[in-house]
Amino acid sequence: MSKWFKFASVLVMLSMLIALGACAAPAPQVVEKVVTQVVEKEKVVEKIQTQVVEVEKPVVQTQVVEKTIEITQVPVTNMVYNSYQSDPAPRQVDADIVKMFQEKYPNITVTHSTVAHEDFKQAIRAYLTSSQPPDVMTWFAGNRARFFIDKGQILDISDVWSSEGWNESYPKGFQALSTVDGKQYFVPTSYYWWAVYYNKKVFDKLGLEPPETWEEFLQVCETLKENGVTPIVSGTKNAWPAAAWFDYLNMRVNGPEFHINLMLGKEKYDDPRVKKTFEYWAELLEKGYFIEDAAAYDWQDVIPELVQEKAGMYLMGQFVMDSIPEENKADFDFFRFPIIDPNVPIGEDAPTDGYFAAANAPHPDAAKAFLAYLGSKEAQEYVAKELKRLPTNTEVDTSGFDPASQKGMELLKAADYIAQFYDRDTTPEMAEKGMAAFQAFWTDPTQIDTILADLEKERALIFAEE
Amino acid sequence: MTATPVIPAEKARPARRAPRARSKSWWVPYVFLAIPLAMFLMWVIGPMIYSFYLSLTNWDGVSAPKLIGLRNYVRLFNDRVFWIAIANNAKWVVSFITAPVILGLALAMVLNRNIPGAKGIKSAFYSPYIIAPVVIGLIWGWMYQPANGLFNSVLRAVGVTDPPGWLADPRLATWCIIAAAIWRQVGYVMTLYLAGLQGVDPSLIDASMVDGANPWQAFRHVIWPLLSPVTVVVVVISIIDSLRSFDLVFVMTRGGPANSSSVLANMMYIEAFNNYKMGYGAAIAVVLFLISAGFIFIYLWQTLRSELEY
Repeated sequence: MSKWFKFASVLVMLSMLIALGACAAPAPQVVEKVVTQVVEKEKVVEKIQTQVVEVEKPVVQTQVVEKTIEITQVPVTNMVYNSYQSDPAPRQVDADIVKMFQEKYPNITVTHSTVAHEDFKQAIRAYLTSSQPPDVMTWFAGNRARFFIDKGQILDISDVWSSEGWNESYPKGFQALSTVDGKQYFVPTSYYWWAVYYNKKVFDKLGLEPPETWEEFLQVCETLKENGVTPIVSGTKNAWPAAAWFDYLNMRVNGPEFHINLMLGKEKYDDPRVKKTFEYWAELLEKGYFIEDAAAYDWQDVIPELVQEKAGMYLMGQFVMDSIPEENKADFDFFRFPIIDPNVPIGEDAPTDGYFAAANAPHPDAAKAFLAYLGSKEAQEYVAKELKRLPTNTEVDTSGFDPASQKGMELLKAADYIAQFYDRDTTPEMAEKGMAAFQAFWTDPTQIDTILADLEKERALIFAEE
Repeated sequence: MTATPVIPAEKARPARRAPRARSKSWWVPYVFLAIPLAMFLMWVIGPMIYSFYLSLTNWDGVSAPKLIGLRNYVRLFNDRVFWIAIANNAKWVVSFITAPVILGLALAMVLNRNIPGAKGIKSAFYSPYIIAPVVIGLIWGWMYQPANGLFNSVLRAVGVTDPPGWLADPRLATWCIIAAAIWRQVGYVMTLYLAGLQGVDPSLIDASMVDGANPWQAFRHVIWPLLSPVTVVVVVISIIDSLRSFDLVFVMTRGGPANSSSVLANMMYIEAFNNYKMGYGAAIAVVLFLISAGFIFIYLWQTLRSELEY
């Protein structure tokens, strides 16, 4: 009996010890120490400053310089940066940017972790609602960012915008994308264009010219098909590449204004205008211009078909070039999605990427310093040079950019309206249902009426809850 | 199974332990149970109850949850994708309690004899089970690839001009995934049956042979009834495995094309974590839980009843 008792009490004690150990385990205590030290130092410095201000005013500016020197001697702040840049080329550039930032700010170390793109979209809610969120995160401008800003999850960085002078150096459109109720929450850093990419070698061999109108486009498809080349590839296993076709056809047929109202839930999916869009799409499918079994492939899986000259064209974002082998890059060029109705204003997809910080970021000062660096001329110039994405900061000199980037900028300048993309312009749930519907349509275009009726039912339900 | 530890305790009573000591140390087992029970409450029962609660809310993962009654369930039962997922789950269950069980039993019967190389063959059949499902999904996904995959390359080589699109074909996608899952499951079922066959007394088979039974009769009337406890376990494991199928679906098709290969677990994941409708996702989880619980209840009821008969 007493043996039992002893054994049991030892067990209980052990378990309590383990429990205590588990409570004590998390590291933030150390981090907190460092943070308080930073605050103390800053206070001291500020006192000196105010004293100086009382004596003679003109010296203030030099004192400010001294303040930054003081901070560099302060213990290191370890901030966390979570990124979705998981494709090889952007991932490398992402790491380079962090390194460049750390060289400039030796008092801040950045714990940089990269999560696969699709997983990141799901994980971000857990990040933002946790008690220790990452300080800075990559994200998409527009509705996707607005969702979190409206819920108070995102750090107000209006002070960064004004101190960096971004209210002058960023175009109005990007300012609007980052502003909610007069305050800035987002740093848009780069954007890219969508276009029809094609293999020049294939076109040259068959004497084809990049088409400008729908008729010319159909002619190009027909010639490619007659010569045993798959006219258009797409990989719709993750449905978003199919959504690009919807975006462009709908904007070309019905104009960007109708398109964006549809995205916002103000127009109906069973509208005859939407059906007209699908009729153009059905024509391509029924004539067999798309690669067979597109749903079996991921978006990168079909690139070898293009490189090996078995296929001709791919409607994709500029990032498609990241996945084309270095030695084949010169073979590829792009043209604007063909014009269907010349009377309709031109809309283009140009998704904007950027960064924001969590509202309860553990290291808001470091986060702001990092955001300021990401939006700076220096960082944007580097990204533009390495990845050919377009910079948002007008201070970046674009005259030295390569011909492809120049052409991309021209393409967007000629547009009457810039959309973000189907899954960024509409709500996440609507995007999921819509893209599943595009997949269903792709496999059986004759079902279009049922598909659109179902989609309209979903739209009514989803936007009624908003 | 749960009844077995009770039996020695009951048998120990006639040995006349002092009843006084027993009543004083009644709490000792609970001390031992305290930690596992606390963990069980924290990580199994707690989340279960919380999921029930969430399924009655419109939680989006960020804002505070708001109770909306049974609206999630009403919507779920009107959701076309839900019924597709239920139908697909049924295909999974039916496939899983037939194909791997029959194949696994057949393999076990063949490999239970002392044929040369039996050990190597057993390991070969078991090896798919130790590969992570995600890897299996990737490997089979490549084999199914319509343009350059193994299946279509072979089909084209033997002269088929228009081979199927496999995972890209809404009518085939679910069956393609199930085939990959069965390939993984067969070796596991085989191992369970091989273990079961160790418990079959060879003298019984010999006796039936002496009585003039042919090998099929010996199997049908001697071995099969003796294996029935193993069969119950195998069937229940297969049902539960098929209901929680998620990884292969997610890796191979993500439920597509156009939700045609969606199962409940996959639908729940997409609604909760992709569409940010945690409440709706919780409602799907609750339905899936009730279906699984039904099968587990039948299983426990059967096993407990049969064990008490001993």
